[in-house]
Amino acid sequence: MTDIQVSISDYAVARAGTRLVTVGLGSCVAIALHAPAHRAGGLAHIMLPHAALSNDRSSPGKFAGTAVPHMVEQLRALGVTGRLEARLVGGASMFEQLLPPGGVPLGSRNVVAARAACADAGIAVVAEDTGGGHGRSVYFDVEAGCVLVRSVLHGDRTL
Amino acid sequence: MEAITSLKSIQLDALRETANIGAGHAATALSQMTGSTIMINVPAINVVRMEAIPSQFGDEEEPVAAVMMHMLGDLSGRTLLVFPKPAVMRLAELMLRRPLGSSTALGELETSAIKEAGNILSGAYMNALSDFLGMLLLPSPPSLVIDMSRAVLSSAYAQFASDPDCILCVESEFMLTDRAQSLRGFFLLLPDPASLQVMLRALRLA
Repeated sequence: MTDIQVSISDYAVARAGTRLVTVGLGSCVAIALHAPAHRAGGLAHIMLPHAALSNDRSSPGKFAGTAVPHMVEQLRALGVTGRLEARLVGGASMFEQLLPPGGVPLGSRNVVAARAACADAGIAVVAEDTGGGHGRSVYFDVEAGCVLVRSVLHGDRTL
Repeated sequence: MEAITSLKSIQLDALRETANIGAGHAATALSQMTGSTIMINVPAINVVRMEAIPSQFGDEEEPVAAVMMHMLGDLSGRTLLVFPKPAVMRLAELMLRRPLGSSTALGELETSAIKEAGNILSGAYMNALSDFLGMLLLPSPPSLVIDMSRAVLSSAYAQFASDPDCILCVESEFMLTDRAQSLRGFFLLLPDPASLQVMLRALRLA
């Protein structure tokens, strides 16, 4: 099995025999899309909830709202048809005590935006490991559709 | 944003010198606190998009300990002290005057010692800056996070930056050499873009 590294603000799609990997999710969210019938999938490492928060919109993988449609389009281009399912990982809130009182942490906003982006694309979110205060890494086997979540503080977990 | 990306070399040099004064005072404080020799590198100034921030650690999943504080007063921004996890245990031992290698777990006392180290270092750094620039700078209480390096750093930048497209990061590297060991750590100063102008004005280089 070959590994494809997905860096921050980026996304990738792949067929069976590939593992999509993204490491060091803090407030960022990984959106893993899986097409069970075609044993293919895509993984995005989004950093911000909305494109309106940034002037630099050159990378669609940076925002939840643009990453999902781009991944779906590329999966369709690979010949993937039919139902997709989504798994969300990340969106932690680190240094929480330094946030302004009453402020919504970026991680939570990213998770909400990722759910909304999946809903807009008609994709069901089947599993999540989001929130909390710890960092995570994602190892997504696109063939089986299983997502291994690693963290320093809470060990491994499979979604 | 242009203010940050169009910095002239004389302005960068002045910022580097300012950071060097801050880091020098912080290193002296750390040296007195631990009774070891501390070396510092010439500060590096990175002006980059958030996703292009260079990692100080080879392995993005390497556990690190980071102490972050807000900088308030005439300048606003954040300071971040980052040590690889093994180094942070040794730092806690030095702070608590324990024999080297005797501590294995990061308990409440060790955590508190590390936060205090962050407090003293940032305090010394900000004091030097406020003397040099003639400004009032106040630190917030410290917050400690121990987690994988990429997650800690990207959260520290993304969560608090006012402009995610352009980050100004002033990085000083510390080397702590003791009888049998050497520890490496980083001190990062992350001023808000508006404060950068205030700093440059104080340096008469705006």
